[in-house]
Order: sequence, then structure tokens, then C-alpha cells
Amino acid sequence: MKTDLLIIGAGPAGINAALTADAAGAEVILVDESLQPGGQLRQQTQLFSNLPKNKKKTRGTSLNNHLVESLNASNVKVLSNHAMVGSYLNGNIGVTDGFKTFEIHAKKYILATGAQEEGKIFPGWTLPGVMTAGAAQILINRELVLPGKNAVIVGSNDFAFEVIKQLRICGVSIKAVVEDKDQLQSEKQDLLSDLGNITFLTNSTIELASGSGEVEHVSIRTPSGIKELEADFICISNGFTPILEPFEVMNCKFTYKEILGGWLPAYNMNFQTTNSNCYLAGSAAGITTLGPILLTGEIAAWSVLEELEFISPREAHNQKKECWEELMTLENNNVFQKRTEIIADSLLQDNWNPKSYFTELQGGQIHG
Amino acid sequence: MQIKKHPILGEKFTEEITFYFNEKPLKAMKGQTVAAALMRNGIRKFGVSRKLFKARGLYCANGRCTSCYVTINGLDHVLSCSTLVEDGMNVHSNESDPDVGGIYN
Repeated sequence: MKTDLLIIGAGPAGINAALTADAAGAEVILVDESLQPGGQLRQQTQLFSNLPKNKKKTRGTSLNNHLVESLNASNVKVLSNHAMVGSYLNGNIGVTDGFKTFEIHAKKYILATGAQEEGKIFPGWTLPGVMTAGAAQILINRELVLPGKNAVIVGSNDFAFEVIKQLRICGVSIKAVVEDKDQLQSEKQDLLSDLGNITFLTNSTIELASGSGEVEHVSIRTPSGIKELEADFICISNGFTPILEPFEVMNCKFTYKEILGGWLPAYNMNFQTTNSNCYLAGSAAGITTLGPILLTGEIAAWSVLEELEFISPREAHNQKKECWEELMTLENNNVFQKRTEIIADSLLQDNWNPKSYFTELQGGQIHG
Repeated sequence: MQIKKHPILGEKFTEEITFYFNEKPLKAMKGQTVAAALMRNGIRKFGVSRKLFKARGLYCANGRCTSCYVTINGLDHVLSCSTLVEDGMNVHSNESDPDVGGIYN
């Protein structure tokens, strides 16, 4: 299979990149391992503000429907239920549907692999009934199935609070929110006030989750002693980290920024990785919010379009500039700051010629 | 524990189907994954771990953690969170490693 642009990951970043490239006339294949496109947006029933192009506040699920409809109306070739499994020596990407594996030759690639949830380890964490906040959200909003009746939530970030709200309206009772730090992590006061009456246990950890074959009982170590709860469901919300395997396969270099989720691929102003054929977008380029996720997809697509000469350098410059300006206003300042640090590093790398550097260092000779 | 009418999304599934878990017939909605189909019937233990035989079930629901393995229509180690349930499907709990010298080799 041959194409101009191959995008891995059909979440909001991948879809937005695909739509941008398709509208400019590029041939696009969009691969995703899930059964349907949309990524994690498929089950986000919460309202999102801070969206690009003055889009008004909307539910994640509605925005997802809109993106998927646009995708279906476009010329983008969508391969759902297909996973990227490796790359060939010639640089092509290997894709499988679980039965057949084949290679796709693309002029450029955008990897929009998204993020994975961080676990939290405590005795009994492997028991059925312990799951990530994302898993609980998939169950209630995608599958319409309750994960349990009485929940203990581990973690108190924004996402935890959104999921608590969604669990509650479906009828799940929240027994306690356990946070190991000395204060709640979400800074959104409106989210917190929406929650109303709820037991918050700060400076606390789960001592043990127990039960016969599934969670039935939870012991929590609090500063005032052990608290015993009858709960059948533990929901872990411990943040996200970028998904990196496809970048390893494509020989991209990595950098570390704690605020962006830890290790992530290094990239430049064009969202181009150190492998010049590989671009990236979305949470893989640093954990952020929905507005910036959509914008990074668009910037990556404009960069590819410029490189493949579908648009003039002048138009590319204007489009990217517009996106970057919006990104700067929509994104959390600390996150944006770290993003610019990665880009500043990439500029240094471009000017850094290892050969002459070592030649100078070793007095004209390269050893080893 | 099926949510009949979701407070935000309303009704989503219409067609009820029958599948089998360890030979026992169970009802599910067409469009649900095998993992959700089991959990709506109150089944949360999908199998055991390979070495210490500890209970395992749905953990990430995204096809990454491999905690939700089951055997589907004779094929071992299938991700129940990423496979849609079908009418008449035979699902068995994952009790050990697959037989690598078995029929699929």
C-alpha cells in the first residue's frame, strides 16, 4: 500500500491532522488499533472549553461525533482495528489486522499515539474490580455497564473529579477519595464544588484491597489510623504518560520533561521528530488538554503538506503561525513553557555537529 | 449491571444476543465488548495469572495491559476489552498459558 501521509492513531490529534492534510489534497491513510476511530474522546462526556477557532464549549462525545462524521465525508482511508507492529528496513511501516500483516509506504508519517494511564501499586492492585479511571469511564460511557456499586477513588487530579461526577450520575456511590499527597491535586475549584459531599482522605494510601476473586474490602492508611471500607471497585487516576513504542521503532530520539508526562520524543517547531520523515501530534508530544491536542495535529499536518509541496512555504508559515499563536493562548503556561524548551533544544541540536565537536575535543582525532 | 438509560447518552444498544461463558448462556447487547458483556452479568474475574494463579479482570479497557485475556471460540489469550461479543460466541476463562503445541501451530 502506498500513500502520501500515514497517520498512526485516530484520536482527536490524528483525525484533525488527517482532515487538514486531506483538505489540501494529500492522500492519507489513518490507522488505529481500536474498532472505531475517536480514541479516548469516544467516552469523554464532560464539557470541554478552551477549544481552537472559537469553538464553543462542547461535550467530548459530541465533538467526537463531529470529527468522525467529517472523517467519513473525507477521502481519508481509515483502517480501524489495525495496529502498527513494526517497521521494515526500507522504512515502511508494518500494519496488521490480527490475521494479515502488510507494509505501507508513505512519504511522511505522523505518529499520534496518545497517552497511557499510569498505574498505582498497592497490595491487591491486580484484583478484578481495580481499574484505571479511563477504564471505568469506558465501561459507563461506551459500554453502558457499571464497574461496581461502591467505589474508592485513588488520586484527586482533574480527570479523577470528572470521572467521579460521571460515575455518580450513573448511580455509583463514592465511598472515599484517597490522595497520598497532603492536598488535593485538582486546581479547578468549580469541579470540586460540583462534587458536593464526599470523603477526601489526604496523606493516605491503600493498605490492602482484598476479597475472594474480586475486590470486596478496602483498607486505607490515613494519618488518623486505618480506615476500613466495604467497596467493590477501586478506580485509579494517577495521570498519563505518552505512548512511545512506535517512536522507538522509528528510531526517534527522546527527551524528559516531567510536566509533559516524563519521557517523550524530541521535536522541533514543525512537530517533526529526529527522524525527518516522522512527525508527531497530540498527547504523544506532551500530556495536555483537548484544544492543544487538536492544534498540534494541525501543525504537524501543515508541516507535512509544506514538505510534500502541497502548499507554498508562505501559506505553511501563515497557517502554522496562526496555530502556534492559538496554542500559546489555549495551553497551560507551564506545559507550553516545557514544549518551547524541547523546541529550543532541537534548535541547538541542529547547529550541533557531532563530528566536528569530537574532532575538536580529541585534538583532531576521533577515538572509539 | 447494565445502565438501562444513560443520563447523558440515553439508550445506545438495541439488540440483545446470547453468548456462553464457561458453557453457561448469558445475555449481552450487540455492540458491547466481551469484557463489558461479562461485567454486565456480574462476572468480573475473567481468569487467573500465569504463575501464581491469582484472579484477573478488566484493568485498562484499552488493549494495553493484557489483564483481561479470555479464550474465545477456542483461541487463547484474546483481549476481551477489544473484541466485540457475538451471538453464540463461546467464551472461556483464561486459566493458564496457551498450549503452544496445540491446534494453532
